This record gives sequence, structure tokens and C-alpha cells, in this order.
Amino acid sequence: MMNIQLRNKFISIFVVLWLAIFYYESTCYYYLQPLFKRELPRMKFLFPPAGWIMFYNIEDNFGYTEVYGVKNGNPQLIDPHQIFQTRALGYDNINRNALITVLTPGISDSFCPFLKRKFPYFEKFLVTYVEYPHLTEQPFEKLQKVVYACGG
Amino acid sequence: MKNIWNTLFLEERPSIGLSFFRIFVALAVGLHVIPSFFHLEDNYLSTAFKTFNYNFFPPSIIDWVQKSPDVLVIIFVWAFLITWFCFLIGLFSQISCILMTLCCYYFYALNDFHIGTLSWDILLVTLFLMCVTPYHGDYFSVDALRRGDIDAWRRKRPFFIQRLLQLQTASTFFFTGLYKITGQGNWITDNPIYYLMNYPTQGVTKNFLLKEWMAGHPHFCYVTGLMIVATELTMPFLLFIPRTRRAAIILGLCWHILLVLTLDVPAIFLFLFPAQMMLFIHPQKIIDWIEARRRINAKSPHPKIIYDGNCGFCRSSVRVLQVMDLWGKLEYVTGPKGMSEMKLYTSDDKIYGGFFAFRRLAWMLPMLYPVLPLVYFPGAGILGPLAYRWVARNRYLFPVFHTCSGESCHL
Repeated sequence: MMNIQLRNKFISIFVVLWLAIFYYESTCYYYLQPLFKRELPRMKFLFPPAGWIMFYNIEDNFGYTEVYGVKNGNPQLIDPHQIFQTRALGYDNINRNALITVLTPGISDSFCPFLKRKFPYFEKFLVTYVEYPHLTEQPFEKLQKVVYACGG
Repeated sequence: MKNIWNTLFLEERPSIGLSFFRIFVALAVGLHVIPSFFHLEDNYLSTAFKTFNYNFFPPSIIDWVQKSPDVLVIIFVWAFLITWFCFLIGLFSQISCILMTLCCYYFYALNDFHIGTLSWDILLVTLFLMCVTPYHGDYFSVDALRRGDIDAWRRKRPFFIQRLLQLQTASTFFFTGLYKITGQGNWITDNPIYYLMNYPTQGVTKNFLLKEWMAGHPHFCYVTGLMIVATELTMPFLLFIPRTRRAAIILGLCWHILLVLTLDVPAIFLFLFPAQMMLFIHPQKIIDWIEARRRINAKSPHPKIIYDGNCGFCRSSVRVLQVMDLWGKLEYVTGPKGMSEMKLYTSDDKIYGGFFAFRRLAWMLPMLYPVLPLVYFPGAGILGPLAYRWVARNRYLFPVFHTCSGESCHL
């Protein structure tokens, strides 16, 4: 049985270290780095890199991804739930705009083979970005552009 | 100063709240990760579409994990499922927590597309703290049954883990509010709730009852946004001040229920965050409440368990029942030697035997609630008695807990 005083010392050291790291990591990206005007060392593996930023910035514009399969020159919108079929409990990952990730630069190398495997019927695919630039002022203004094409 | 530090972190307090919390952490992890296993070829195998969190993992770790052959991924799936289940039921709860957390890290590094969210990061921080001690296995666990300690529910431990979890919860609230009004946050200068209500279906907002109305009332949305920020900023203080704690816990519970009803947020919001609120209930108050119920039950007529006192397996099974008997509802009576099955005499003069006695007990003992669907499953009324009779016939051959071997297990 560990001596109680020794145990309490271990606990105290752990608590102090934990609290220091927790609050450092929680404030580093948005508060400490601007304060010291330089990039500070970060701890990997545990804390969100930008801090606890849930829903912190929501703008009047909204963008999402639409993927089209093309057969005989005719583009056909693919239901995003058919692209990513994993269902979660109590929420819809597609409605969390999960598909926007496929617009990340350089990701077409991995997304195009995935689309070809899932939808062999189509000859090529168009991955498009749909944007509402002013949702509340101009709700019907909708822009769409092809970000990249797969195949063909 | 030393006294304050002792009170905050080192003082020994009952760990029953932490044990209860373990079940919700396990549910949050399982319900978040397991659905992603139903489409392994889409999510984790070599055919999957993957994204990586290079801010969270060093590139070398991600590259290393990506070299996993499909068979290793399958092995990790099974490893996760086994360790997750052990953690849920509290079997070797600290070791299973560590191994399950390692599996979580593996899948996060393998592909963060489905499981990587900000709430997942909160869950990982929670899991890290849970890995530090075995305190969460003190009660509501198979570990407690293995130990056979009938006072396990009032076991006291240093409070630091629960305190750090409290601080994590309170700080997450505070920083979430702070980020909304400082730096790049726009909840004061703009009207985020109004925009959310006007998002198309791909947006994060669910189609709840008031959504359409709110989409046409920007002033109401702005005031709602300010109230949300004010609540998040004040919540830590409300939770730590004893006079406001109860109201803050209720507010926090309602808060997360509202979030789940109005936004497409991960299951973690439903299972972890409300349970985090319950960590603020003083453990001694939980013990006082249990003791009050035990005192009431002690005065009222007891259901009686009649068992074979000459059989070590029966004595050790009754010891397990005693550990599970949180409300002190049962009285244990040694029956005649060689009786064929356990009997339960209820306070309304009904007699149940064997499997049906066990089924009745499942309603009385909180730790048996999870087996209720199993013992009432169609066909259980036929198979259950057969299984019970087989166990009863061979009861002298079964191993017993060391506390009950020979004549040493006094009940």
C-alpha cells in the first residue's frame, strides 16, 4: 500500500501539470500566440489545436458540396448519403456538412478512386462547390462551380 | 492554502459518481465509434476515403498507421469492441479503459473523417483522465462483484480525478463562450443564430418546430445568441457555487437536450455532456440519499432469498447479490442442504424459484437492470429455466470467489 503522503505528492504533481497544460492548450492558439506574436510550442495527441471553438464564428454565407456522376454526357446529382453511407446515432453527418471535406486541396487523389469504386456505373464525376454568398439578404442567390473532375 | 488544496483535490470522497459516469463515457465512445465499423470498406480499409488530422497527430504517426494492412484494422476493430465492452461493464476497468483509448487513437489516426470532431477531442481528454486511476471501477462494475466488497458503493477515493473532470467541463463551457465574443468570434458583432436558422438542409440545424419562425425574427435570434454566450460564460461559476449548483446542473441538462433537439451534433452531446453535469453532485449527497433509502427499506418487510448455504458457489452468488443490493432490499436466509433452486419470497407473499426468482431480482437490483431485456427476451422463459437447472445441478463444480471458499464466506 502506497504511503498516503507519497500518494498525495504524486497526485499534486499530476494535478498541477494537468491544469497547466490544459489551460495553456485551451488559450494558446487564439490568445497566447497573438499576445507573444509568435508560434508557441504545442502538445500533440490530446487537445484540439485551436481550442474549444464550437460554433464560434457563423457567417451569412454557406457553402456545401454536390457530386455529379456523368454517364453518356449527362450529369446526374448523387445523393450525398449514398456517397458516405455510415449512419450515426441521433444526428446526420451529411447535414453537418461533412462532404465539404472533399474540396480540400489535394484530396481528389483519394476521393476520385473512392467514387469510382462506389459508383462504377458512371464514366466520370464532377465535384462542385455550391455557395449561398448572402443567405439572409439574397436567399435565392446561389453560385456553383466545378472544383475538380474525376475520370474521363 | 494547504487545506484548500486538500479539500479540492486530495480529500477522499465516495467514488460512486465516477463509477456511474464511466457507463456514460463508455456509451458515448461506443455510440460514436461503432457505427463507423458498419462500413469498414468506406471508412478504414485500404478502399476507404480518408482524411487526417495533422494538427493533432505528428505526420510520422499518421504515416505509420496508414501502413496497416486490412487484417490489422480488423484486429483493432475486435480489440476495440472487446475492450469497450469490458470498460462498459467495468471488467478490469482501468486496463480496459487504457486499451480502448489506444484503439480510439488508432482509428482517429487511421481516418478522422467520421469520428474526428471537436466533441471527440473533449471525449479524448475525458478518457485520458479516466485512464489515470481505477476509481471508476469501484462500483456498477464487474470488478466490484469480483472483489465481493458489499460496501463498495460507499468506497472513498482521492477526489482529484472527479475535480479535474469538473474543471474540464466548466472550462469548456467558459472557453466556448469566450471564443464566441473574442478573437474571430462574431456573436456580439453579428447574428449567428439568425444565419443558422436560414441555412439550407445541408447546414447543421435540424428542422425543429420554431426554426421557420426564428428564421424570420433576427432580433429574437440575436437576443437568444447573447443569452447563450451569457449562459456559457456564467455556467462555471454557477456550477461551483453551492447555492446555485442544483439550478446550474438542471440548466446544463436542459442545455444539452436543446442542443441535441435543434442541431445535428454528435451522440457525445447526448451521452457525455449531460453526465458531466452529474459530476457536480457532491458524492456524499449521493451516499446520504442511498443510505436514506436503505433505512426506509430496513424498516419495511424484506423480500427473502433462500439459498443452499452448504454450497460455495451459492454463497459466492449471494455475496454478488449483496454487492448489487444498493438499496438494501433483500434478506438472505440459509435454506436446507441440497435444495434444488434458489427461492425468492416477496413482501406480497409470492414465491419465485430458480430462473424466475432471478428474473424478479433483476427488477430489484440496479446493477441487474441491463439484463432485463435479456431475461424477458422471447424464449427466455423456456431457455432460462433449462440453463438455471443445468447450473444448479453442477453448482458444486463451479469455481467460487476466494472470499467465499470453504466456510469463510459469512453473509
